[in-house]
Amino acid sequence: MELADRAVGLLLSSISLSIFTYYTFWVIILPFVDSDHFIHKYFLPQDYAILVPVFAGVTLLSLLSVFIGMVILKSKKKKA
Amino acid sequence: MKHVVKILSLLVAVSAFWIVLLQAAIVPQSHTLLLPIYFVVSLGCYGLLMVGIGIMQFPTCPQEADLLNHDIAEAKDFLSTNGIDIGTY
Repeated sequence: MELADRAVGLLLSSISLSIFTYYTFWVIILPFVDSDHFIHKYFLPQDYAILVPVFAGVTLLSLLSVFIGMVILKSKKKKA
Repeated sequence: MKHVVKILSLLVAVSAFWIVLLQAAIVPQSHTLLLPIYFVVSLGCYGLLMVGIGIMQFPTCPQEADLLNHDIAEAKDFLSTNGIDIGTY
C-alpha cells in the first residue's frame, strides 16, 4: 500500500538525516566549542567518532561476505 | 579503461588535497585526520537518503493494477475451463 511505502521511506530518510547531522556536529562543530559547554554532555568522547563507523563498516563487510559464502556453498551443494 | 583512469585520478587528487591540508595546519591536525571517515559516513548517509526519497516517490498505478488483476482472472478462467489445473501456490 502507498501509505506503508511512504512511512518506510520517511523513516529511512529521517534516520539518515539524523545520523548525518549528529555526525557532522560530532566531527566538525564540537572541536571548536569550549570544553565546558553543556552540549558536550550529549556527545560521546571524540575517540568513539572513529570507532563507531569503522566498527559498523567492518560488521557490514563481514555480514556481506558471510552471506556470499553461504550462497556459494549452497549452490555448490546443489550441483554436487 | 578510461573510466577507471578518471576515477583513480579523482582519488589521487582528493588524497593530495587531504595531505596538503594536513601539512598546512590551517585547521588543527586532529581535526583534519577525521576528514576521510567523515566523507565516507556522509556518502553512506546520502545513499540512504536517496533510497528513502525514492521509496517515498515510487508511483503506484492503480488502474494498471486493476487491469492486471482482470487479466489474471481471465487467464485463470480460460485455463481451468480448458482442463489445466492451476492450484494457487
